Amino acid sequence: MEPGKHFPRESGSSMKIAVCMKQVPAVSEGNMDPKTGVLLRAGMEAIVNVYDLAALEAALRMKESIDASIHVFTMGPSKAESVLREAFAMGADEGWLICDKAFAGADVLATSYTLMQAIRAVGDFDLILCGKQTTDGDTAQVSGGLARWMDIPHANWVTEVINISHKEINVRYNMENSTVTASMSLPCLVSVEKDFFIPRMPSLKLKISGKKKTVHVLTIEDLEDQDKKHYGLSGSATKVRKIFPPPRTKHQEPVTFDGDKAAEYILSQLSDVNLF
Amino acid sequence: MRQLIYPMKEQYEEFIIDESKFSGYAQSISFPKNEEEIREVIKELGEKHIPITIQGGKTGITGAGVPEGGHIMNLSHMNQMKDGCLLEGGNGLIVVEPGINLMDLRKEINATFRKNLLFWPPDPTETSATVGGVAASNAQGISRLLYGDSRDYIEALRIIDSKGQAHFIERGKKFTLPSGKSIEMLDAVLGKEGITGVISELTLKLIPKPESIWGIAFFFEQAEDAGKFVDTLKRDLPKSKNAAVAAAEYIDRESISLIESHKGTMTKIKELPNIDENRAGMVYIEIHGEEEGIEELAESLMESAIICNSDPDEAWAVSGETDVEKLRAFRHGAAETSNLYIEKVRRDDKRITKLGTDMIVSNLTFSRVLADIQEELDDAGLKGCVFGHALENHLHVNILPECYGDYEKGIGLIRKWAAEVNEQHGEIVGEHGIGKLKQRILGDLISGQYIELCRELKSEFDKENIWNRGNIFPEKAGQV
Repeated sequence: MEPGKHFPRESGSSMKIAVCMKQVPAVSEGNMDPKTGVLLRAGMEAIVNVYDLAALEAALRMKESIDASIHVFTMGPSKAESVLREAFAMGADEGWLICDKAFAGADVLATSYTLMQAIRAVGDFDLILCGKQTTDGDTAQVSGGLARWMDIPHANWVTEVINISHKEINVRYNMENSTVTASMSLPCLVSVEKDFFIPRMPSLKLKISGKKKTVHVLTIEDLEDQDKKHYGLSGSATKVRKIFPPPRTKHQEPVTFDGDKAAEYILSQLSDVNLF
Repeated sequence: MRQLIYPMKEQYEEFIIDESKFSGYAQSISFPKNEEEIREVIKELGEKHIPITIQGGKTGITGAGVPEGGHIMNLSHMNQMKDGCLLEGGNGLIVVEPGINLMDLRKEINATFRKNLLFWPPDPTETSATVGGVAASNAQGISRLLYGDSRDYIEALRIIDSKGQAHFIERGKKFTLPSGKSIEMLDAVLGKEGITGVISELTLKLIPKPESIWGIAFFFEQAEDAGKFVDTLKRDLPKSKNAAVAAAEYIDRESISLIESHKGTMTKIKELPNIDENRAGMVYIEIHGEEEGIEELAESLMESAIICNSDPDEAWAVSGETDVEKLRAFRHGAAETSNLYIEKVRRDDKRITKLGTDMIVSNLTFSRVLADIQEELDDAGLKGCVFGHALENHLHVNILPECYGDYEKGIGLIRKWAAEVNEQHGEIVGEHGIGKLKQRILGDLISGQYIELCRELKSEFDKENIWNRGNIFPEKAGQV
C-alpha cells in the first residue's frame, strides 16, 4: 500500500473526518487481583472506549449537516476489528485497523506517532476527532500528542461544535473558571467530552450491513516511517510497571445532630473537600 | 452469649417492606452470617415460640419476605461463594450462600472460571435479587425461553429446619408425602417461598457462556404491529444451527415513558437515547450463540419486523455483555419504575401496594392478549404499564392507580383476568410467587391442588409452624 494515496483529498469534495477509537477491557472490580491489584485479562470482555464513542457521535452529527465521510482508525490486535464493526453499525464509512506486532506496548508518545503515520498513510484529513481519554490508559494525552505530530491546531475536551464549514470549525470548551469559544482552520484536531455527545445506538440494519464491509488493515509496511524503533515498546518513552486501584479510605466518624445542625454539619464537611 | 437478635427499631424500618410495597411489622430481626448463627437464632426464638420470616434482597414483589409479626431472619450477610469446580463436559458447579445477589454471583463466577467462561442461566432482571430468593420464589428471568426453568440449574441445597437441623438435598432425591404423593425433595423447597425451612447453601449448575450475544430492540408505531410481530415469531421462530433466540420481551409505551422519566437517576441506561414518542411499544430480542448464526437470525427477524412496519434503521442492535446489559437494564426499568410509581402514590395512601400480574395464557395469540388487556384497562378507566415475556404470553400488567378507588378497581380487574386465565387453563402465578399479597388478592382463584400440596409440605417439614407464615395460604400472624 502506497502511503497517502488511498483517499486523497480533492478540492471541493466532501469533508474527510478521521475518528480515533480504541478497544479497552471492560474493567470492573472483579477484574482486579484483590491482592496484587493487577488487571486479570483472561476472560475479560473487550469493549469500545466510551469516550471514543462520543468522538464518533460528534463526527456523525457533523455529517448530518455537512457532506462528509467518516474514517475510523483503531490500533490494536486483530480482535480490535470489532471496534470498527461497531463504528459501522453507528454510521462510519470506512474502518482502518492499525495492526502489527511492532505497535504493541505503545505509550502516549508511540501511540500518537503511530496514529499520525497511519492517518497520513490513508490520506489528507480535514478533521481528526478523538475522545477525551481512554478508560484503561486514562492519560488524556494522545489527542494532544497526535495534533503535535500532525502539526495542526487542536482543541481539547470540547463540549459543543458550534458550526463547521469546509474551511473552519468553531467549538466551545470549558476551562476551570471560564468557557472558551475557539475558531480553528482546517485541518485540525478536536477531542470531545463524552457527556456532551451521547452516542446514538447502533442500528440493526447498519450492524448487519457493517458485518459485510471491508476492514482495511494497516501494518508497519504501509507507513512512511518503517523504523521499528519508533513504534510500540521500543518507541515508548514511558513504561507501565503496575496497574492498581487507588486505596479506599474507610474513615468513619459517628456524629449526632438534630435537624438544621445536622444539615449545617454535612454542608461544612462537603465544603471542606470542595464538593459544595 | 453474643447478641444475634435485635429488637425492631426505626433503623430497621426498611426490612418490613419489599418491592411490592406490601408492608408489615416485626418484633425482632437478625442477620446471621453462617449456619451456626442461624441455629442459635432458631434455638433462642424456638424457646419462645416466635415465628420467623426469612428475607433475602427484599426485591420480591408479593410480600413473601415481609413479616407480619414475629422475627425477621435477614440472610443478606450470608453472601459468600464457598466453592466452585469445573466438570467434565464443560459445565461447572458453584456453591454459594443464599444471600449472594445475582450481580455478585456473576462476578464470582467470572473470577472463578476465567479460562472456561461459564454462567448461571436464571436471569431475573433485578440483579440485586439474592440466589436464595430466586430459589424460594421460583423467579425465572427473560432467558427461560432458551435455557428453561431456574430449578434446572439448582443441583443441591442445604435447608435448616425448625429444630435447627441441617438437611442436604440433592437433585434426584425423592420422598413420599403422607397423602401418598411422591415428589422430588428439591421441590419441597424450590418455589415454596420459605414455608418449609431456611435455605443455608445452594449448589448451582453453570453452563458455558454463549460465544456471542446480541440484543435487538424493534420499535412499532402501533401496538397492533408489535403484536403481529410477536405472533409471527410464535408461529415461525427463526432458527439456526449455531444460535437461538433466548428472550423476546414486550415493553409498552406507558412503560417506556415511565422509564424515561426516571432515566436520569438510572446509571446503566441514562445514556440511552430517548425513544420517539410516536412509538407505541417495543420488542426486545436477545440472541445467543455463534456470531454467524446470530447474524442469520438477526436478518430473519429484521425481515419479519419490516413486514410488521418496524423501521430497521431505527432498530437498536448491540452485542457483547456490557452493551446487552444496558438493554436488559432498560427492560428491568419497566418493573423498577412501576414499583417507584407505587411508592409515590403510597405517600398519600398507605393502603396502596403493587398490583401486577404474572399470568400465562398459552392458547391465545399475543396480539389478542395485548389488545384485550389494553381494552379492559381503558374500559375500567385505569392506567397500566404492560411488559413481559412475549413469546410465552407471559405479560406483567402493572396497574398504576392514582387513588385508592383505582386500586380497588385494579384488584377487581386482576381478579377478572385471573378467572379468565383459569377458564383458559393458563397459569395465574408464573414466576413471582404468591407470597402474602397475591394470596390476599387471588387466594381463592389459585389452584386448590397446589395449595393443598404446600399445606402438606409445610406440616411435614415445619411441624412447629415457624417458617414464613402467611405465604401461599393464610395463617394467623404473630406468636404461635
